[in-house]
Amino acid sequence: MRPRTVKMWRDLVAARGRVALMILAIAVAMSGVGALLIARTVIVREAAAVYAGTNPASATLEVQGGVDAALLAQVRTRPGVTDAAARQTVLTRVRVGDQWRRMLLFVIAPDDPMRVAKLRLESGAWPPADGELLIERTAGPVLDAAAGDRLAVAGPSGATTEVRVSGTVYDAALAPAGQESTGYGYLTPAGLARLGFTASADELRIVTSERDEASVEATATAVAAWLTAQGRQVHLIQAPPYQHPHHSQSETITGMFLAFAVAALVLAGVLVAATLGGMLAAQTRQIGIMKTVGATTGQLLRVHLGAVAVIAASATVLAVGPALLAGYGLSGLVAEMLNVEIGSRALPWWVPASYLAAGLAIPLLVALVPLVRAARITVRAALDDHGAGTEVGGRRTDRWLTRLRGGRLSTLALRNLMRRRGRLALTLALLAAGGAMFTSGLNSSAAWRSWVDDGMARRAYDAQLRLASSAPVDTITGAATAVDGVVAAEPFVSLVATPATADGRIEVQRTYPDDGHGRFLLAALPVPTRMVDFEVTAGRWLQAGDTDGVVLNQSAVSRLGDPRVGDDVHLAVDGVVGRWRLVGTIAEAGGPATAYASPQSVSRFVEPGTANMLHIITDGDPGVVAGELEAALNSMGVLVGESMLTEDLRTAIDEHVAIFIGTLLALATLMAAVGVLGLAATMSITVTQRTREYGVMQAIGARPAIIRRMVVLEGTLTGLLGSLVAIVLGVPLSVLVGELLGTISFGLPLPLRLAPGGLVAWLLLSVAAAAAATLVAARRAARLTVRETLSYQ
Amino acid sequence: MVQVRGVAKAYPVPGGEFPALSGVDVAVDAGEFTAVVGRSGSGKTTLLNLLAGIDRPTAGEIWVAGTAVHEVPETRLAAWRGRAVGLVFQFFQLLPTLTVAENVMLPMDFCGTVPARRRRPLALELLDRVGIAEHADKVPAGLSGGQQQRAAIARALANDPPVILADEPTGNLDSATAGAILTLFRELAHAGKAVVMVTHERDLSGYVDRQVTLVDGRVAEDVAVSR
Ligand SMILES: Nc1ncnc2c1ncn2[C@@H]1O[C@H](COP(=O)(O)OP(=O)(O)OP(=O)(O)O)[C@@H](O)[C@H]1O
Ligand SMILES: [Mg+2]
Repeated sequence: MRPRTVKMWRDLVAARGRVALMILAIAVAMSGVGALLIARTVIVREAAAVYAGTNPASATLEVQGGVDAALLAQVRTRPGVTDAAARQTVLTRVRVGDQWRRMLLFVIAPDDPMRVAKLRLESGAWPPADGELLIERTAGPVLDAAAGDRLAVAGPSGATTEVRVSGTVYDAALAPAGQESTGYGYLTPAGLARLGFTASADELRIVTSERDEASVEATATAVAAWLTAQGRQVHLIQAPPYQHPHHSQSETITGMFLAFAVAALVLAGVLVAATLGGMLAAQTRQIGIMKTVGATTGQLLRVHLGAVAVIAASATVLAVGPALLAGYGLSGLVAEMLNVEIGSRALPWWVPASYLAAGLAIPLLVALVPLVRAARITVRAALDDHGAGTEVGGRRTDRWLTRLRGGRLSTLALRNLMRRRGRLALTLALLAAGGAMFTSGLNSSAAWRSWVDDGMARRAYDAQLRLASSAPVDTITGAATAVDGVVAAEPFVSLVATPATADGRIEVQRTYPDDGHGRFLLAALPVPTRMVDFEVTAGRWLQAGDTDGVVLNQSAVSRLGDPRVGDDVHLAVDGVVGRWRLVGTIAEAGGPATAYASPQSVSRFVEPGTANMLHIITDGDPGVVAGELEAALNSMGVLVGESMLTEDLRTAIDEHVAIFIGTLLALATLMAAVGVLGLAATMSITVTQRTREYGVMQAIGARPAIIRRMVVLEGTLTGLLGSLVAIVLGVPLSVLVGELLGTISFGLPLPLRLAPGGLVAWLLLSVAAAAAATLVAARRAARLTVRETLSYQ
Repeated sequence: MVQVRGVAKAYPVPGGEFPALSGVDVAVDAGEFTAVVGRSGSGKTTLLNLLAGIDRPTAGEIWVAGTAVHEVPETRLAAWRGRAVGLVFQFFQLLPTLTVAENVMLPMDFCGTVPARRRRPLALELLDRVGIAEHADKVPAGLSGGQQQRAAIARALANDPPVILADEPTGNLDSATAGAILTLFRELAHAGKAVVMVTHERDLSGYVDRQVTLVDGRVAEDVAVSR
C-alpha cells in the first residue's frame, strides 16, 4: 500500500471513536433514505400494477332505470368504447352481534364476463348461489365472518335476511374494509332481490380505447348524450384519473419523507465535514510536512476524499440491512393501508444505484469545502501553526468576553465556546436542523390531533341516523324526544348531488366510483342549527332568509373548481339542476364534499316538511341511545338505513393517516439522532484540540474534576443553544409540513400547533446528550497526565 | 546550484513592513556544504524558506537547481520542491503514524519518482546510508532524537534532490550526536549535493566548506572555511 494510504488508514483507526460516530450518522440517515426509496418505489409501482390489473373503467355513468343486456351490447359498439359492464352498488347494513355495520353490496350479473373492474377470486366460486355472497378479503374482521359463516343483511325494510358467505375476493380498487368501517359483499342480482332490493344495473362502466383525460371525457359525454337520446337519463359521469385512488397521495407523502431523509443525510454529511475538518485542523503541521516533501494540494485532497469515501461507503453498506428491513416493512404497512397486494418486491436497478450515489456523493460533496480548505493550506501557514487555535483578543466579542464576570467556571466555558466560532456554528447548525425536524414532526402530529379534536368538537351531535326514506319532520322529532337519553334531535335532508354547469349539463367528475372518494352531498340543516358549528374560512354560515344561499366545505370547494363567495353554484339531484349563490366556505374535518343549503332551497327535490337524516345529542352511551331511537322509529314505520356514531368517525379519520404520522415521527427521531451525534463528534474534537491547554491548567494546579466540569458545562451550553435555535426553526418547518400533510389528507393546511411536551423533551434530550457526549471526552482529557498532554501534538 | 541575487523580503506588520532580508546575494555550488549563521532574528529561516519556495521574495531572483523559484506558480511548487530540494528541520517533523521506512517512502509516493515496487528497497538503502536501517519498521516515537534526525535526512534524500536545506538540524541534539549529523551532511555534500544549513553550532570547522553570516537581514560575511 502507498504510504499516503497507510497514513490515512492509521489516522482513521487512531480516531476510531469519531470515525464510528461519522459512520453511524451517515448509516442512520442512509437507513431512512434507503427505506423510503424502497417503500416509495414498491408502493407506487405495485399500487399501479394492481389497479391496472383490475382493468378499471375509464368512466362510470349513472343511468336511471338501469342498463339491460341489450342496451349494454349497443353501448359496447359505440365509437371509442372498447368494453362495457353494467353493475349496481347498494348501501345497506349488516347485523354483527348486537351492532349494525355499514355494508356495501356490489351487484354483478352472473353472465357479466368480468373483463371490466375485475375482482380476483381468492376462495369459493363465482357466481354465488342466490342465498350466498362473497366478501372482500379485508372485510372479514369488520363483518366478523369468514367463508361458511352466515350474515344478517338488512333489506330496504330494515328486516334482515341470512346470507351465507361462500368465499372471498380481492378488490384492489377499494380501501381496506377496516379503514372505512364498511363490509364489502359481492352478489348476483337474484341474490340482491332475495334481500328485498330492486335489482337495477344503473352503473354503466365503460372502457375507452384512449386513456387520456380528454378522450375519456369526450367518449363518456358522447355515450351519455346517446343514452339521453335513447330516453335514458344520466345522473352522473365519473372519469377518475387512470391511477390508483391513493396514487398521488402516497407519491407526495413518500416524496416528502424522502426529502426529510435526504436532509438528514446532508446533515450527516455536514457532521462528517465538521469532524474531519476538526481532525485535519489538528494535523495542519503534518499536512505542511507532506507539502514540503512534494505533496500537492490535489494529492492531499484525494487522500482526504478517500477517507470520506471509506466512511461513507462503510455507512452505506452498513445501512443496507436496516434500509431493506424498514423499507419493506413500511411498504407492507402502506400496502395494507391501501389494500394493495404486493406482487413483486423487486427493485429496479436505479433504486440501488441512487442509494449508492446518494450515500457516497452527498457526504463527499458536503465535505469538499473543509477538505479543500485543509489541503490548500500553505507550507508556511502549516509550519507556523502551533495548534493553539484562534487567539482570544482581536474581535469585539472577545473583548466583551474577557470583560465577562461571574462564576469562574461558566465564564471560562463560555469563552471557550466562542473561541472556535466556526465549529460552534456548525455544531449549532447540525443540532438545530436535527432538532427543527424533530420538533416539527412532533408539532405536525400535535396539529393533526388538534385539528381532528377541533373538528369533532364542532360537531355537537353524538350520532347521525340515515332513514331508508323520507319521513315527516314532526314524526321523527316526536319519536326522538320520546326516547330516554336523547337530549336534542334535529332532522335534516341530505341528498346525493352532482356538480353541474350553468346550462344544466352534468359535469364529468374526476372521482372514483367507490361511493367514498367521489361522494358529493347536498345537506339542508335547520337554520340555525345547534348540531354543527364549523369554522368559517370565507363569507359566513347560513342565515334565516338565505333561500338560495349555499355554504361549501373545503372538499366541495375544490370539487366545484374553487368558486368565490358570491359566485353561482350549480348542482344536480336526480337529474334536476338547481342554482345556488355561495355565501361562505367552511373547514370540515372528515366527511365527504358537502354543500350546505337552506331547507327551502331543497324543497324542489324532497317533499317539504320531510327529512331523511337525523342528528341527535345524547346524555347516555350514544350507541345504546341510537339503538333505542332506531327501534322506536322502526315501530312507527320509519326505517333506519344507517346509524353512525361521531366517535367512530374519529377512528376512521385517524386510521387514514396514523401510519404517515408514525413515519414522520420515526424520521424526526432519525434527524434528532444525527443532530446529537454531530454534537458528540464536535465536542470530542474540541476536547482533543484543547488537550494541551488542559495539561497546562493541570500543571498550574487545576484538579481533573474542575476541567471535567468545565468541558461538560461547555457541551451543555452548546446543547442548550442548539435546541433553542431548533425550536425557533421548527416553527416555519411545522407550517410547511402541516400545509403539505393537511392539504393531502383534508384539502386544507393544518393549523400551527406547538407540542409543548415535545419541545421540552427535545430540550432535555439535547442537553442531556450534549452533557453525556462531552463527559466521555472530558473524562478522557482529565485522565491524561500532565506530561502526556504537554507532549501532545 | 543555488543562486540568490539581490533578494529582499519584507513582512507586512501592523503599521508598515518589516524588512527581514535586504540585498542578499549568495551562491552555493554542488558539492559544497554551506552554513548560514547569525543572531536570532537575523533572517536565516527567512532565507531558507525562500530557497525552498515556502515563501516568495519581495524583490530579487532565486535560482535553485536551474529553476527560477520566484517564478514557479503556487500550484507547481509542491511537486517541484519534492524533486529538487530535500528539507530537514529542527524538530525532525516525521509523520507520527508512519514507520520510519514509510516516512522515507512518502516523497517517492507523492512525486511518483520511484515505481511502487522499488520504494521500500530504496528507502532501506537510504536508511542504511544514514545508519539506522535496523529501525526501519519502528514509528518515530520509538527512536532517539538523533535517530529521528537521521530518518528525516533519509527522507530528504528520498527523491535524490540536488539540494539539501536544513534549518537548525542539530538544535535539539547533544553535541556528540550533532557532530555525527554534521558529518553526515558533509558526506552528502561531498557526494555531490549542495547542502545549505542554518545553524547556531559554534564550532563548524572541520565540517562546512563555507560560512555565510547574516546580520539584520544582510550578508555580513561570506567566507570559505579551511578544513
Ligand atoms: N511571518 C512573519 N511576519 C512578520 N515578521 C516575521 C515573520 N517571520 C519572521 N519575521 C521576522 O523576520 C525576522 C527574521 O526572522 P527569521 O525567522 O528569519 O530569523 P532567524 O534568523 O531564523 O531567527 P532564529 O535564529 O531565532 O530562528 C525576525 O525579526 C522575525 O521577527
Ligand atoms: Mg530560524
